Amino acid sequence: MDHPQTPRILAPHLAKFQHKIVRMLGRVVQLRGDTATIDAGGEVEVMLNRDSHLAVGHAVEIIGKVDGNLHVKVQFSWDFGTNIDFNAAAAVVEATHRHREIFYDAD
Amino acid sequence: LDYNNYETSYTSYGAGGGGGGFMPDGTQNTPSKGRDHIQDTLRPVTIKQILDAQPDGDDFKIDNTKISQITFVGQIRNIAHQATNITYKLDDGTGTIEVKQWHDADAMEANPQTTKLIDGSYCRAWGKLKSFHDRRHVGAQIIRPVEDMNEVSYHLLEATAVHLYYTRGPLDQSNNADGAASARINTNTNANGAAQDGGVDVSEFSGVAQRVYKFLCKERQGAEGIHYQVVASRLNLDTAVVAEAGDQLLEGGVIYTTVDDQTWAPLEPEK
Repeated sequence: MDHPQTPRILAPHLAKFQHKIVRMLGRVVQLRGDTATIDAGGEVEVMLNRDSHLAVGHAVEIIGKVDGNLHVKVQFSWDFGTNIDFNAAAAVVEATHRHREIFYDAD
Repeated sequence: LDYNNYETSYTSYGAGGGGGGFMPDGTQNTPSKGRDHIQDTLRPVTIKQILDAQPDGDDFKIDNTKISQITFVGQIRNIAHQATNITYKLDDGTGTIEVKQWHDADAMEANPQTTKLIDGSYCRAWGKLKSFHDRRHVGAQIIRPVEDMNEVSYHLLEATAVHLYYTRGPLDQSNNADGAASARINTNTNANGAAQDGGVDVSEFSGVAQRVYKFLCKERQGAEGIHYQVVASRLNLDTAVVAEAGDQLLEGGVIYTTVDDQTWAPLEPEK
């Protein structure tokens, strides 16, 4: 279909997913105009697009491409509010990679 | 969150699917066409599983077992209002599929929840997989917005647990690190403080595995993980022994791989 698979990852996986489109759920730590820092199992620098409306302290799910510097260029973002259980989110990332067969096709 | 118990049978319509999946009567296909009567079941799945489902006569199988109703959670990517239905394109990160909600001529009033279904929002759908000219879609009975965003995580973990049930068999509680994945991730403190670290119970694993786990917890700096050869050298253990312990811990879901398969980090509750 049109939209590519977007495996969920955390900061430690960025190197393994360079130049791929991924999905990350993290807490917004800092906003700096058109870039931001989110904490998704570690700090991640992201480059926002003009539709991104992030709120510091909120959880946000971003879909974006990992660049050569392990920064993420955001294609789409969605606010996930303030009561996200990050342990569960980390467990999902773990499940995504341990049981990849139901989550994404490896190339 | 305690994933210790999951229903192995989804035959009751009230169970599974994360909250009130009551199916109105008018939607059932009568199993009277000479095909095998299949138990009506409700399976939580990922969209990739739906796209990979194996055709089986008029039905489909996922993980080698016939499916009847399925439920999943996805992000809306497109909404198309058509004459007889509304077609939502849902994407859960594993794939994209069209979900058609047929207009209900008998509905007394429009569902007020529908206004929350917009591009980008997450929703949960219940329905049946259909194929038409080799194109698959889901005919949905119910589509409702996700209110608590933890439902997204919940659903993906539930789909994983059920997938493991169908591919590996039921959880064997009696002493098997293999099936213990869901039982380990729990933030409750264990009354038996002995083999516990960071709130995760590792008492089921071998002595070496417990030492490896404790080391990973104690020595972690950031989330990059520690290479297993470093672990072996610091604990003065044979690398093959540490590799085997790592397999146990990975199977048990208490550690995960980070930059590569040989570099591990413990899965601990956030401090």
